[in-house]
Amino acid sequence: MNCETCQELIHDLIDGSISRSDESILNTHIDKCLDCESVRQDLTSIVGFCRTRRGEYEAPPNEHALWLRIRNVIEADQSGQTVAHNERRPSFLGRLMGHSWELSLPQLAAAAVAIVLLVSLTTVVGLRRWATVEPAAQAGMSSFASNLNDRFAQRQQAINYWNQRVELNKARWSAEMREVFDRNMGVIDQTVATSLEELKKNPHDEISEQMLNESLNDKLALLKEFSDL
Amino acid sequence: MPAQERRLLRASAVFESSPTPMKTRFLTWRPVICAGVSAGVRAGLFAGGLVFALLIFSAVETVNAQQKINKRYPGGKNVRVELRNISGTIVVESWNKDEIRLSATIESKNAQVVPKQVDQCLMIDVMSDNRGRGDVGDINFKLQVPVSSSVDIETRRGNIYVSNISSGLVRAHVSSEGDIELTNINASQVIAQNVIGNIFFDGEFSRGGTYEFKSNKGDITIRIPGNSAFRLVAASPARKIALNDFWNNNFKNQDGRKMVGDVGDGRSSVSVMNFSGQITFMRR
Repeated sequence: MNCETCQELIHDLIDGSISRSDESILNTHIDKCLDCESVRQDLTSIVGFCRTRRGEYEAPPNEHALWLRIRNVIEADQSGQTVAHNERRPSFLGRLMGHSWELSLPQLAAAAVAIVLLVSLTTVVGLRRWATVEPAAQAGMSSFASNLNDRFAQRQQAINYWNQRVELNKARWSAEMREVFDRNMGVIDQTVATSLEELKKNPHDEISEQMLNESLNDKLALLKEFSDL
Repeated sequence: MPAQERRLLRASAVFESSPTPMKTRFLTWRPVICAGVSAGVRAGLFAGGLVFALLIFSAVETVNAQQKINKRYPGGKNVRVELRNISGTIVVESWNKDEIRLSATIESKNAQVVPKQVDQCLMIDVMSDNRGRGDVGDINFKLQVPVSSSVDIETRRGNIYVSNISSGLVRAHVSSEGDIELTNINASQVIAQNVIGNIFFDGEFSRGGTYEFKSNKGDITIRIPGNSAFRLVAASPARKIALNDFWNNNFKNQDGRKMVGDVGDGRSSVSVMNFSGQITFMRR
């Protein structure tokens, strides 16, 4: 009988469920093995203590919760041990540096060629990306300009509509009124042109944009008000 | 020979022998006319004279065609006057009566003015009253209103003068060209706008009030008390903004074209925009 089988039989012995033949074999082993004798004594004293003090200790209020806490503590200990174990593992770089490199001449040549290829590829890709940054900025500027042009075109459509109405009615006006209208429209058109010119120079000029909007509004208002005459 | 004929012959003889400059000019002139002018030209001259006479006659007729309106409307202290004109000068001033007096001079006999009073509001809409009548020429208005009247005026062309009003609103809008003068105004909302022409405001900014002045081509002058408190947004692409006594270091100056900042505690809001003219603030 080995010690492992013996310690399993010790549990049966204490519980009183062991057979006579097993008990005789167990006793023969324990007489020879001090470790198993020690285990038998420990277990006998624990079980005896529990049996004599039965009823003196209350069960925990929430047994399930207690076990959960215990399990968590055990798992935490286990993960801590895993982390510690991982920390103890050498890093890739460490393993790489620690590795003894013994390369043949063809292997060295292949490695050099690979490095040259990698550096060349990185340089080409970098240059291409750098070259595309400036057109992107230009594209941003052109998108702003096209945005401005879109808005201007939309407003221009409304202006064209009211302008047609004005032209239809203009013949009924007095010569003096026609002169007044043309003079004022000229002033507004001048403001529009100046604002557009400024925006061409500086597309993000907030004041010129505001002036352009205001003057286009003024133009529309003038056309609407004179179209009624 | 009768005595009268004898006197005429003597006078003729004296005239012929007299060396006066007048006689010389007459003698020199008469042959030119008599010798060089044919009967056709004389007829033309006669026709020209006739046309000239007709022109004078028609001018007299035009003067006679001018219509004048003079009406009074009852109103409380807080009345509102809305006037939509086409062309002509508009004068609005306060008086110490609780009624509105309307005087108008109408240039064309085709034009008509039909004021409408609804509750405390007097409305005059020349545009609606004369739709389909063609060109109605200038109509000049003069309105006398209670001091606390709200005044809302629009015209396509012509000057607007408003004075001595203390109310909720004073609005003067010229669609095209015309000066705007707002004198001694104390209103919580003031709007003055034109395309060509000067804008002059003389008055006070009340707490929480809003004030807007805008012109394309003309000077904008704002004359207010030195202790005025307001938040200002002034824009002039031509870089002609003079805040004078109202300037302080807290103003945000954007390239001289736009100035934004508070004067005092900034309790009223003032917006001034002038595309090519001068913006000037001055102390009252």
